[in-house]
Amino acid sequence: MSHRLHATRVIARRRIQELLLSPGFYVAAALGLLLGYLLVSGFARSVDSSGFDFRLHPLFDLLGRSLQGAFGGTVVQKLFAEGPFQLVLYVAFLPVLLFLAASSVYRFGLERKVGAVELLSYGPADGTSYFLAFLIKDLLATLLYLAALTGFLAVTAALHNLVLGPTFFYCLALLPFASAAIYAWGIFSSTLTDNSASALAVFLALMVFFLLVFLGSFTIASGYVAGLSTVLAWIVRWFSPLYYWDQALRAAEVSGWPLYALNLVLQLVLGAAVLAASHFILRARGVRP
Amino acid sequence: MIQTTGLTKRYGRFTAVDGVNLSIPAGQIYGFLGPNGAGKTSTIMMLLGILRPTSGSIRLFGEEYHSGRLDLRKRIGVVPEKQPLGMWGWMTAEEYLGLFAELFRVPEAGRRIDHLLEKVGLSGVRRKRMAEFSHGMMQKLSIIRALLPDPDILFLDEPISGLDPFGVKQTRDLILEENREGRTIFISSHILSEVEKICHRVAIIYRGRLLAEDQMGSLLGGLSKDREIHVDLEGVPEDLTRAVRSLPFVLQADAAGNTLKVKVPKSGDYRKELSAFLIGRGLVPLAIQEKSLSLEEAFVTITQENIGLFTGIGGRS
Repeated sequence: MSHRLHATRVIARRRIQELLLSPGFYVAAALGLLLGYLLVSGFARSVDSSGFDFRLHPLFDLLGRSLQGAFGGTVVQKLFAEGPFQLVLYVAFLPVLLFLAASSVYRFGLERKVGAVELLSYGPADGTSYFLAFLIKDLLATLLYLAALTGFLAVTAALHNLVLGPTFFYCLALLPFASAAIYAWGIFSSTLTDNSASALAVFLALMVFFLLVFLGSFTIASGYVAGLSTVLAWIVRWFSPLYYWDQALRAAEVSGWPLYALNLVLQLVLGAAVLAASHFILRARGVRP
Repeated sequence: MIQTTGLTKRYGRFTAVDGVNLSIPAGQIYGFLGPNGAGKTSTIMMLLGILRPTSGSIRLFGEEYHSGRLDLRKRIGVVPEKQPLGMWGWMTAEEYLGLFAELFRVPEAGRRIDHLLEKVGLSGVRRKRMAEFSHGMMQKLSIIRALLPDPDILFLDEPISGLDPFGVKQTRDLILEENREGRTIFISSHILSEVEKICHRVAIIYRGRLLAEDQMGSLLGGLSKDREIHVDLEGVPEDLTRAVRSLPFVLQADAAGNTLKVKVPKSGDYRKELSAFLIGRGLVPLAIQEKSLSLEEAFVTITQENIGLFTGIGGRS
């Protein structure tokens, strides 16, 4: 095993140990599960003899109207066509995704500033093995949480006489890939800046930017904004995990499995490209604060 | 063991290290001296593979060295000046050393950690959290961490900075012991008196340029224009200094308390003649010794003589 891989493995194991021993991950997971449960039970109460009607439950009424206003009725219909679980999956996953990504970005900046990354670099490790360890930790935590979330939602579905549905599983399979690309962008932000606060700001700004460009492609925007969004989206989409995520879902809807698989691979390629860029930036800038 | 050729580091227009050629032989204690901003840290960071040189090359253990040579880093132990606790404070000394032993793939790590903790007297606090450690304890722990993989060379950056006299002595003894066991030691320090006590060879860097590099004795001897002999007496009579000055080999003579300070030409050893002269005048020399140039004096002399190189006014070229 190469020195870099060995160092990555050792540091990642310590990172996972730290993650499991600290409360942050559990708080984010509990929040995600609670939100998921509230949505599932709310959905169950929004169903009457004519089927699902989001106006029957205040939480879904609010959500449904907002989503309808933003993306149009068709998107909302598709979102709830197989029950609430596609939305629940995203909502319940978001706190953990944000926690893992933000905590890694913050930690990277902090440890670089205090010289801990430099100290590790004196041994047979380097900045690259250090940030790869973060990625491995975040991906393993993501898989762990997604497994727990799937189990939790399966039980909740059974309690409410609902089923998870095939779309849930397409979306579930997409999340680790999209997360990997998002975590890679987090690492990239950390290598660009010298402190944790600015790294976090760059990362959040990037994510908001990708989200805005993505949202701009829906009916929410019109006129000049729509035109600008279209041009921006065309340029930015290749760098956005949301683009490949959307493309994969569209492919799954029409059973275009090769295209679905291709978009999963493209998420990985995007993540790898961003990590490679991070590697070269860190090599050029050095690990010293 | 380490050789650099034309090592240069530029940050934009600023040249931090300018064509430095170092030669660090195996088995020696090598002192790397320079004032703040002289380019010491940049040079060390390049030697450690943390910074990439703008130009020049580094040969380590006979092999070309660059930042990607993680295999060679295992043969280098580093004790930085500051110990970053932000990440490690929650760990015990044992856990901390365990992490690095695993990173370095130290065989029989447990035994090695026990041995090193015992060696520096930290066995009793092995299960204590590092956040509770004093500066001196952290320094010792840092040295142990650096020694874990049994490196061929140990880099110490300001190893005694901030330590109490007891800590200074313990660290000095540890450095000397490691050197006796065959390890090459590279010390960067501002505390020149300490460097003078333990280093075999020194290099002086100033404004990015290497001004001197030599064995300690040769460097100090080479800089002295004259020899200074100090004679301790029970008392210095009033007319003694004038009488001593009249001796043909004496350049200058002064008294400081009960000590007679005599400058003689560098070409000869005049202690016998001086002693005979004093005895002839009925005085008993209690101690007679040659006072050599201190490293601090040498450092000041070398840097001042070379100021002209940087300002273009005066100085040795």
